Amino acid sequence: MAPLPETRSSLLVRVRNPSDAEAWHEFASIYRPAIYRLARRRGLQDADAEDLAQRVLVSVSGAIQTWEKDEKRGTFRAWLLRVARNAIINAITRRPPDIAMGGSNASEPLDMPHTDEEAIRKLVEDEHRRAVFRWAAAEVRSEFHDTTWKAFYRTAVDGISIEDAAAEIDRTTGSVYAARSRVMRRLKAKVLEFQG
Amino acid sequence: MTANPQQGECDQRKLHGYLDDTLSESEQLRVEQHLCQCESCRNVMRDSAADQEWWGEAGEYLRNDRWDDVATTSVVMKNADPDGTPQVGDEPASEFSDRHLPLAMRQVREWLDPTDDPHMLGRFGGYEIVGIIGQGGMGVVMKGYEPALNRFVAIKVLAPLLASSGAARQRFAREAKATAAVLHDNVIPIHRVDETHDLPYLVMPYVADAPLQQRIDQEGPLPLVAVLRIGEQIAAGLAAAHSHGLVHRDIKPANILLENGVERVRITDFGLARAADDGSLTRTGVIAGTPQYMSPEQARGESVAARSDLFSLGSVLYVMATGRLPFRAETSYGILRRIIDTEPRPIREINPQLPPWLETIIAKLHAKTIQDRYASAEEVADLLRRCLAHVEQPMSLALPDECQSKSAEHRSTFGEIWAKVAKHRPTRVTMTVLGAVTALSLLIVGRATLLNQPQLHDPPSRTVDQAAAARTKVDDPADDPAVAWDGSDGEIERLWQDFETFESQAQRLWDGPPARPINTPTWQPSTTPSQESNP
Repeated sequence: MAPLPETRSSLLVRVRNPSDAEAWHEFASIYRPAIYRLARRRGLQDADAEDLAQRVLVSVSGAIQTWEKDEKRGTFRAWLLRVARNAIINAITRRPPDIAMGGSNASEPLDMPHTDEEAIRKLVEDEHRRAVFRWAAAEVRSEFHDTTWKAFYRTAVDGISIEDAAAEIDRTTGSVYAARSRVMRRLKAKVLEFQG
Repeated sequence: MTANPQQGECDQRKLHGYLDDTLSESEQLRVEQHLCQCESCRNVMRDSAADQEWWGEAGEYLRNDRWDDVATTSVVMKNADPDGTPQVGDEPASEFSDRHLPLAMRQVREWLDPTDDPHMLGRFGGYEIVGIIGQGGMGVVMKGYEPALNRFVAIKVLAPLLASSGAARQRFAREAKATAAVLHDNVIPIHRVDETHDLPYLVMPYVADAPLQQRIDQEGPLPLVAVLRIGEQIAAGLAAAHSHGLVHRDIKPANILLENGVERVRITDFGLARAADDGSLTRTGVIAGTPQYMSPEQARGESVAARSDLFSLGSVLYVMATGRLPFRAETSYGILRRIIDTEPRPIREINPQLPPWLETIIAKLHAKTIQDRYASAEEVADLLRRCLAHVEQPMSLALPDECQSKSAEHRSTFGEIWAKVAKHRPTRVTMTVLGAVTALSLLIVGRATLLNQPQLHDPPSRTVDQAAAARTKVDDPADDPAVAWDGSDGEIERLWQDFETFESQAQRLWDGPPARPINTPTWQPSTTPSQESNP
């Protein structure tokens, strides 16, 4: 039996320890994609979204010491997303002063006007949950055989039929039903673990 | 239990057992067979695993859409590929540099076109490739020969991994072209910016320059004259680039080339750090390389201005003068925090031989807020040039006015007081007690400063900054408490009496009730009380 994985709140505590590089890396691997996607959905292009994600992470690394752990659960997330949202709004409304930052790339249409606070909050919640799901999937992936994982991924994510999936991995349909449910159950547990 | 006669029938416990992975293989197989026909059990299975909302979220969130950065997320999710090699998670930064770049180097041969010259490795973009000079975060540097002009060149090729990022390519090309427009003695010229086999590259003169880093590694701290001469040229090169709107972003000793044996400086890799960031952060989410020379605004992830290079220049001067890095920590993260929050140790604490004005100049370059630094690289170049002139001809050329700083004056005022007191009663006890009292009052002042802050949980940088501001804000010498205190010998005398009282009390506490005379010739600060109490 593998030891119980660290809970997420303890990751936050570890991230605040400057010498815990591993915790920081894990933190970044969870949140960087979320910030990147947020920026993309707010109309930034690839390079600028990457740039923004980097900037947010760096400013988080600077400010994370001031975040108080004993506040209610979710506070850290709210705080992080506030940082991200402010950075995005800044990035969209204010052009950096030097040419090396790259020119204006906001040619793609914006998802919605950036003054819509409620919409931004929703977007941010959505992307955070997505990030958690993806983190959880990456975490549990190695616990399953490839065929088991594929039974889940092809049917639940790619949306192909049970029959097609069964043919693809050369198993019975009953096996696909059972396998995908087992993965789903584990995935859910992992997501809840993050929150808890 | 194992031989279940009703294997074709519905058994919810078995379904749960399957989900929990507590069934034997034969039992699992029977559940799977049962599920092939029984729809209600399929539904029970599905709902026991998670309700519909969860299934929906899993499908939506794990699916890649057009907002995804292909380089990162798809790897994690798509590994149900036919050959089934699991690839989970992002690659840490170290693996990026250790594993991929040597690969990039091996790939060099694949880029090369055949050549007729048996002494050459191959051809690249019209150059005969003599060899590979090295590799860095950006890619590979090759030594090439240009037959038409009969000269050797250095060819920097953007690493294939970076070249695969459109953003990195564009920035590489754009900034290389911008640098090519800067014609200055202290900026390495760029002959050409081009692309071949989809690999962007730039061509520079091949010079046998050694990086400043190498000289520091070999010699340790450099002589003052060298510090000034090199610093002045870096500032001059930066000024030229800044006038073209170019920010270097990565001023560090490794990017400062020194011509063989002479202190002639050439800055290289303008703006290229930027392209490296573009490429590496798609994979890691963290900063590539070491941030030791970053400015606070870079460390905070804010946008970078020309004067950000001045902060880095301050760090380079610091390293040249002391042989030590101004901001040190075990991890990149720790370094970032120090850059943002802490003042480096003053250079004269490390090497008291250094002039106070150099400390002042470096401190001003190291100002945490951009506005507090020098206004331009040009100003710094000019200042360092005049300082250098003074150092070389101290009799005929005065030190620039700007170098007569407040902080240096205060330091000497304190020094004078110190000397005065020490002369007055030159014992180590005096020094110790004076030190203790000074520390105590500093503590009290520091505490008062803290209490005056509206928010106690503010980062420590606030306190430091305010204290620093308070220190430098004393304009009228009469307002300076240190000067006022020095104004009367009587005060020093009174203070000395206080010290004596304090000292005797301390001694009594230390020795216990039978108080003995203190400050008698037999008493030495270094002897321990127990030895003394022996008759």
